[in-house]
Amino acid sequence: MSDDYKFDTLSLHAGHWPDPEHGSRAVPIHQTTSYMFKDTRHASALYNMEVGGHLYSRISNPTVAVLEQRLAALEGAVASTATSSGMAALTSALLTLCSQGDHIVASAQLYGANVNLLKYTLPRFGIETSFVSASDTEAMKAAIRPNTKLIFGEIIGNPGLDILDVEKVSEIAHEAGIPLMVDATFNTPWLIRPADYGVDIIIHSLTKWIGGHGVAIGGAVVDAGRFNWGQNDKFPTLATPHYAMDGINFHEEYGPAAFTAKFRAEAMYNFGPCLSPTNAFHIIQGMETLGLRMQRHMENTHQLLNYLEQHEQVAWVRHPDLPSHPDHELAKRILPKGAGSVITFGVKGGRDAGRIFIESVQLSSHLANVGDAKTLVIHPASTTHSHIDAEAMKSGGLSDDMIRLSVGLEDINDIKADFEIGFKAASRHQKLKAAE
Amino acid sequence: MELTLSDEKVHLATGGRAHKPDAPYVLFLHGSGQSHLTWVLQSRYFAYDGFNVIAPDFPGHGLSEGEPLNSVEEMAQWVLALMDRLEIETAHIIGHSQGGLVALELGAMAAERVSKMVLIACAAAIPVNEYLVNASVERPDKAIAMMTGWGHGARAHKHENSQPGFSHLGYGRQLMAANHPIALHTDLNACNAYHGGMQAAQGLKMPVLVLLAGADKMTPVKFGVQMAQSIADHQLEIIDKAGHMLPSEHPDAVNRPVLNFLRKQTAIA
Repeated sequence: MSDDYKFDTLSLHAGHWPDPEHGSRAVPIHQTTSYMFKDTRHASALYNMEVGGHLYSRISNPTVAVLEQRLAALEGAVASTATSSGMAALTSALLTLCSQGDHIVASAQLYGANVNLLKYTLPRFGIETSFVSASDTEAMKAAIRPNTKLIFGEIIGNPGLDILDVEKVSEIAHEAGIPLMVDATFNTPWLIRPADYGVDIIIHSLTKWIGGHGVAIGGAVVDAGRFNWGQNDKFPTLATPHYAMDGINFHEEYGPAAFTAKFRAEAMYNFGPCLSPTNAFHIIQGMETLGLRMQRHMENTHQLLNYLEQHEQVAWVRHPDLPSHPDHELAKRILPKGAGSVITFGVKGGRDAGRIFIESVQLSSHLANVGDAKTLVIHPASTTHSHIDAEAMKSGGLSDDMIRLSVGLEDINDIKADFEIGFKAASRHQKLKAAE
Repeated sequence: MELTLSDEKVHLATGGRAHKPDAPYVLFLHGSGQSHLTWVLQSRYFAYDGFNVIAPDFPGHGLSEGEPLNSVEEMAQWVLALMDRLEIETAHIIGHSQGGLVALELGAMAAERVSKMVLIACAAAIPVNEYLVNASVERPDKAIAMMTGWGHGARAHKHENSQPGFSHLGYGRQLMAANHPIALHTDLNACNAYHGGMQAAQGLKMPVLVLLAGADKMTPVKFGVQMAQSIADHQLEIIDKAGHMLPSEHPDAVNRPVLNFLRKQTAIA
């Protein structure tokens, strides 16, 4: 064949070649810490990065590698590295590129833990971040300093659902000689392949839609392989001899995969954010049906948007696929299959009504996750974003009455019926309150 | 490692090791639209095994400056000039695909400078279909996708890789896209125009190892076998079900036999 296999085929097959000894069709779980060397020359070759292969599961593992290669294939990327969580992926990726005294420009519309990492944790190590509205690309450009090492954003912001104009922002980043890194958890490669729009480094929480079952935490860093790390002097640990491996120059020796080579040799080696083989196996089971699930996620999302928009007890609904969303046109352009299966909405009656709704639904699960096959609901102001300050809440587009809904794969009529239970309870509460 | 040749910057991969005064030299010559990165799983391996490794980027390829060279003969002259510049009297020459044609021509042009030769996924002639040649100038991205697709075997298309997390197809596309915009087109024309391969092969006197890929769509194996059989002192190995990009797709199947072949009469310092 002259081209790559298509998405659903890659989801099932990429990264795995059944082993000739046992013929296992499913990806085996290589639950091992270490690997037998063929001889001393083979051992030294692995240590010196002369050849590929596995030497210790903190660095790489055959089951995890299947997941990594499958994700790289789905993203049209040169490589990917799996990590123990999405946050481990982001932290390790940032520390692969940034050192003390460096600066990051980030979208202000980010997941709470991403905000905390950039705003409070990294400054302790001398890495500062300027937060700029994702929709204000001029401000993003203006925020770049000589010591800025990357721009970071979320393609679909969590939970504000703002859309990052990745084409424009990647142009801004590349004009400044720096890469664009995005968290692409909410979109998955089924909705958009960020590398096709100029993104250089893609972060995933695999815990969400890619796994889809809610049984395993995992993350990944995907390397689009298009950024020239040697174009300026901003990335000396990539493009000049590095302290590791006899002064390896990753840019010269690995070219398009320089970032990944350094990530594995430094971040995986020194920080150790490895994914367990069993979790990799679980996530692979989810990946096999990613296309089918995403299609159903989006069908249910669009039906629920209609339902919520017409419901008399809904104060407001926010989703980029609605014409009322400020990024609707952008979403149509870069996310033609839909802008993800998270909806935010407010229940009439404010914070209390929202709380009653969440506590009353019986099918939808009240928990801190998104992207599960099951429908999930949460109140961000009191949970996922409770540790960020009022100013960051406001700039992130969050309100006190916001409910974040992650639309699952159940029969749409059952989800609607469940929501009716929640709305009725909220309505009763409001009437009682009014009567008091 | 960088040096200047004909006023242009030339990049040479050395496998991450400094050259030693008494170690034998091995030159790795990349194929059409490729770069020193073809040899990412050979250069460090041979350098750590005691060889002085040189994997140059031809002009307009990889990290080397300048315009791509127009013919296989010019490329062979360029390699000779590079050896002169580095004061290398003799070296083992390893060529992949078009790099193999350059090796053949070099063997005909200056046999005394070539200790041993390894020809990988190569034939005495590598004609390129017109559709690909045209695409390489009109739609380089499409030409790159076609070559990357045809250049890899079934395992690579399933994204199986000896390097954990890597994609052969993704890496191959970006490797080629990083070259001078007309590098691929110039290379394909150079391959098409080269007709001296069989004569060069018939004249070779040094030991030659020919490694062929059983499922090679770019240089079908039967033509490689014909070339090998025309070489007086040859060894032939065919790697079953492998695609054209043997060095990256099946590094073990390349490294071990090549090392054994070079070691036979070579004292490693």
